[in-house]
Amino acid sequence: MAYARAFRFVTMFLLALWLVPAGAAGPKPADQVFRLSVTLGEDEELDLNWAIDPGYYLYREKITASLAGKPLKLTTERGDVKDDPNFGPTEVYHHEASAYIEAVPAKGRLLVTFQGCGENTICYPPVTKAIDLETLAVSDATGKVERAGDSPGAVEASSSIGTAAPAAGGDASGLDSSYVYTLLTFLGFGLLLAFTPCTFPMLPILSGMLTRSAGRLSPARGFVLSASYVLAMAGAYGVLGIFAAWFGGNLQASLQTPLAVTLMSAMFVVLALSMFGFYELQLPQSLNARLLPDSGRSGSIAGAALLGFASALVVGPCVTPPLAAALVYIAQTGNTLRGSSALFALGLGMGLPLLLLGTFGATMLPKSGPWLIRVKQVSGVVLIGVAIWMMSRILALPLIASSWGLFAAGTGAWLAMIAFKRSKPVWHLRQLPIAAASCGFVIYGLLLAGGALGGWYEPLQPLAWAAIVPPPGTWHEGEDGFQIVTNEADLDAAIAAGRAEGRRTLVDFSASWCTECRLMERTVLADENVRLRLDSMQLIRADVTRNDAQSRSIMQRFAVVGPPTLIFLNREGKEVEDARTVGTTAVDDFLARIAAAERG
Amino acid sequence: MSDSLSRNTFLRLAGGAAMLLLTKTFARSAENEVTSEMILADPETPIGGNPNGDLTIVDFFDYNCPFCKKSAVHLERLVKTDGKIKLIYRDWPILTETSIVGAQLALAARYQGKYLDVHHALMGIPGYGISREQMIDAVRKSNIDLPRLDADLQGNADAIRGLIKRNLTIAEAIGLQGTPGFLVGPYKVNEALTYEGFQHVVADARTRQRK
Repeated sequence: MAYARAFRFVTMFLLALWLVPAGAAGPKPADQVFRLSVTLGEDEELDLNWAIDPGYYLYREKITASLAGKPLKLTTERGDVKDDPNFGPTEVYHHEASAYIEAVPAKGRLLVTFQGCGENTICYPPVTKAIDLETLAVSDATGKVERAGDSPGAVEASSSIGTAAPAAGGDASGLDSSYVYTLLTFLGFGLLLAFTPCTFPMLPILSGMLTRSAGRLSPARGFVLSASYVLAMAGAYGVLGIFAAWFGGNLQASLQTPLAVTLMSAMFVVLALSMFGFYELQLPQSLNARLLPDSGRSGSIAGAALLGFASALVVGPCVTPPLAAALVYIAQTGNTLRGSSALFALGLGMGLPLLLLGTFGATMLPKSGPWLIRVKQVSGVVLIGVAIWMMSRILALPLIASSWGLFAAGTGAWLAMIAFKRSKPVWHLRQLPIAAASCGFVIYGLLLAGGALGGWYEPLQPLAWAAIVPPPGTWHEGEDGFQIVTNEADLDAAIAAGRAEGRRTLVDFSASWCTECRLMERTVLADENVRLRLDSMQLIRADVTRNDAQSRSIMQRFAVVGPPTLIFLNREGKEVEDARTVGTTAVDDFLARIAAAERG
Repeated sequence: MSDSLSRNTFLRLAGGAAMLLLTKTFARSAENEVTSEMILADPETPIGGNPNGDLTIVDFFDYNCPFCKKSAVHLERLVKTDGKIKLIYRDWPILTETSIVGAQLALAARYQGKYLDVHHALMGIPGYGISREQMIDAVRKSNIDLPRLDADLQGNADAIRGLIKRNLTIAEAIGLQGTPGFLVGPYKVNEALTYEGFQHVVADARTRQRK
């Protein structure tokens, strides 16, 4: 009984969460709810197709077409029958509608009119669209053009530097209005993320949990346990999606603050240290007893689920760059249902390899022994590396270099410990490679750390090549040259000044909490070639750190979602749209955009 | 158990949804020449409820809008129960041609003091595709002087047309997407509400006004 009441409350709560963003924005315009697209069919007939939002419907008999003032014969499909007390049964379309017009001329302006309502909520006046028969472009009857496939929440893709899964960043641009397509994209996204070092730590956690129920672990049981782990993890992401849609753009901002990044890195270090065996991460005794009532079985479904949920929260932030892109997209569309289910799909994708491991690996996993301890130690090392990598976005260069130095030296020492743990100083041939590696790491680490002390950063080259640290161009302190503004009046004045001098203008939307901006400033904007090309331009930095009304007004002026965004204005002060840069990008790409700005 | 669950849930959801759908309205007077005086103090709009009420509701509706008719029942009941709401009727014929016919009939009846009779008669025809004949038939059945109605229709055609045009302009200026639309005090609600929904909006509007 109590369970039923709790269930009801949770359902209400979740439903209320979903209603909030939808309601707060007011009703959707008819254009958004009924989306018309036009194609030419096989027999040269004009095919009209409407995508209709759930909860809305179109009237069959209200769909009409005309050309040059004369009505055209339009064939429509059968619709769902709705009982209108006046007319009797009326046909309406839900989800989608289609119609065709035969024998259309090759040129001309065809007008299509349609009308619909939202169930029990609102009825729209008739909508008329004009179709250019030559190009099949659909526009308002007043002449406003909308491009096919323009979805309101599409976020421009940004190729990111330094992440281990660059393909994931590009995927963000492929998210369009089709729901299923979005889900599949996020699923693939998650699958790609599963192969980043960030999700590596989940392997020993999962296998540790599985092997604790050693002896009774059949593939079926392994599947069930890992399934509950993966589902709980995906659920955690789903909740994150709800919050993303709810809080909107502020989420990206808060994820990038130095405080958030530091906290996440700290969590990774804590997890890493547990891998090394300094302590065991366990649930408190009370919870332990409640979840594992059967004292004999140490692997319960609820325990697995809890572990999955926790790992999502710990590991999730590591994949911040691509995840933030996804979250921003969701925040923009504001659609909570889509947002949470898309992120749920992401979590599922991330967990699929784990599921396979849990099911099939279960039979192959030996009991807890040296193998598992080794895996845990390796993942501990990787975790610390990931923590350093995350911190490198906000730390100064000397600290980064010395951290990597210590890390390398530490790894070398650890390797030495493994190789020579036998007290007998007997040298086997097979110990040679590990000994060599150990020495190599230690020497490299010393070079890095020592170099950092002396301001010599060349040892960072291999790391820069692997895109783990920023490239060489940024290892020197440089003059920035950007004029900083925080409100609209100053921004206008600065732009006007640039125009008066006949210069092009670059406006850099940036914030102190935006780690991506820092990255851009240190890598792309500090590059010698880029500086050369920017020399002739008026450089303005719009600082939106405070995120108050003034910041929002300057962002709205240029339709900027959030930093980092770089906008180029031509000599007349108009934006060169091709050159706009959202998110981080590489030097080559940015140089191409400067070229585009110089053309525009 | 499941029946009561669904009814309670529905009511709570409806009330919740109504609350969540409040948007503050700013009549952009400078740009659209629409002022709040125009909206609230137009001498030719029909008034219902309590003309000296402390809260004003402006109702934008169409005689071919099925959801307007459903929510009108709830709105009228609330206005009657509450007793302190001033209700301004703004005929907003946007859905189809016969909508304009209905609006003209109702507004013409105002000249003989019978607007509400015709209004309720027309709103009483359920559904959406009302024909001109059905509307006239409904008007005939209400307690009205038909020859006088005809005369008023012809004689005041300009004034009626002017008012309808004003209603269209105002609705567009405040950004209504479709029917029904309500201005409850400072709040704009652009969808059909249940009785509880209206209650919540009215309560919120009054709280807002007290501040």
